[in-house]
Amino acid sequence: MVVRRSNGDVVESFGSSREVTAPEHEITMTMNGPHQPTNPWAPLTPEQQEARKVVNVNAETVTNTAATDIPGHYGPEQDDSWNLERFRDNFRIDFHHNKPHDAAFSLVGCDASISNAFRRILLAEVPTLAIEDVFMFNNTSIIQDEVLSHRIGLIPLTGGEKGLRWLRWFRKKPPTDDFASQAAYDADGEPSTPSDYNTVVLELKVDCRWATEAEDGRDGKKLAKEGETDPNVRYVNSNVYARDFRFLPQGQQGTYFSGDDAIRPVNPDILIAKLRPGQKIHLQCHCIKGVGMDHAKFSPVATASYRLLPQITITSPILGADAKKFARCFPKGVIGLEPSDESDPDSEPKAVVKDPMKDTVSRECLRHDEFKGKVKLGRIRDHFIFSVESTGQLRSDELFLDSVRLLKAKTERFKRHLAEFEEGR
Amino acid sequence: MSREQYNPAPLSQGGNAGGSSSQQQTTGGFNITGASNTFEDTSRPVSYLCGDCDTKVLLKGGDAIRCKECGYRVLYKERTNRMIQFEAR
Repeated sequence: MVVRRSNGDVVESFGSSREVTAPEHEITMTMNGPHQPTNPWAPLTPEQQEARKVVNVNAETVTNTAATDIPGHYGPEQDDSWNLERFRDNFRIDFHHNKPHDAAFSLVGCDASISNAFRRILLAEVPTLAIEDVFMFNNTSIIQDEVLSHRIGLIPLTGGEKGLRWLRWFRKKPPTDDFASQAAYDADGEPSTPSDYNTVVLELKVDCRWATEAEDGRDGKKLAKEGETDPNVRYVNSNVYARDFRFLPQGQQGTYFSGDDAIRPVNPDILIAKLRPGQKIHLQCHCIKGVGMDHAKFSPVATASYRLLPQITITSPILGADAKKFARCFPKGVIGLEPSDESDPDSEPKAVVKDPMKDTVSRECLRHDEFKGKVKLGRIRDHFIFSVESTGQLRSDELFLDSVRLLKAKTERFKRHLAEFEEGR
Repeated sequence: MSREQYNPAPLSQGGNAGGSSSQQQTTGGFNITGASNTFEDTSRPVSYLCGDCDTKVLLKGGDAIRCKECGYRVLYKERTNRMIQFEAR
């Protein structure tokens, strides 16, 4: 169970992936012998510090997967205690690209638990506005009321950011057959009534008809007789798109959602239904704020994910034709070719690692005998390449900041509860 | 029964949903009512659709079930004019 080290090697019998280099009896000798060469509890050398950051990706196994920067893991002299100063000095965020619908950045120097918390909060806990209630007045299209309601619920909406932040929660009554949540709902607070600060009203009213000379400058029926088959020519409003939603501002909403800030679908070209002459859809929607854990339509991101930075170490030079083959084992741009002799540009090409960020860690290079023992693959344990793709309601970078704010609020609440617990309340 | 609640609209004009009466001037859009509620009134004609020529046929209580345009005897009932509430889930 106890981790003992001599000459920097770990000798232990529990959980570690480090190699055992010295047999047990040798260790006992060095421990008890008169000439103890090194301190078995010495803090890690800088090389060991670097090595423990790497997850080894071998041909068929992945080793060294668990983080070891836990106080006491390497004995009393290795200081792994968490320290705000040290975290602040080591932590880094580098942006790779930052577009409203797609942001990619690196979080360097934080634990997997923290990055994973951000990812999960992004998916399930950042509130967004989505259609929740559908009031169907008329629907003679072939798509059923229930299916149509579900379909329009999934349309991502957007609007002025200030107004979206101004909107408050709508406390919705739980389903009547869910007694547990019904009891919880009745226990605390007043039920919400639809009001301008918690509900947004949208209307969809579309009638399909034949195109006429008077209104559209073409006679659909005549064209149909002549052999026209395109519904867009024969009919008017044969396709219902997300852009057909009309925002009906209520009360103060006019000041927050006016002009370019109006509540509208992010993608105006989403096809909602198809109609034929005489069919119509007339409905009103109530949109409320919700979180992704309740329903996926409230999730502010299409995806929020991270991966660890790949590390490729070429331990002995790969030259000539092998170098070209080696480069082909990786995606384009990961491996570059340079002259092996810097002074002579015509010398044999040598494989060098150009951009490990682009690598997918496919391990293709480990399948070929000519690279055996020449390359090591791994991933950096504390370098998270985050990718946040917003559905369009809020900007991707703003969403990540929201997730940070939410985690902070949750920890503060947790601390408050702990303090109350301590005071015996 | 939980998902698609069937909420019959009130017979009388006025709000079924919504906040206090003072809010109703500014937030009238929260009050969802059907356009007109003409059910349970046998003296008023009900419109049907002809199965053959697709024209609207207005019929009262004791009328013959027959299209006035083409004489076709199959008529289809129109969709209810009452509002139906769904959850977008």
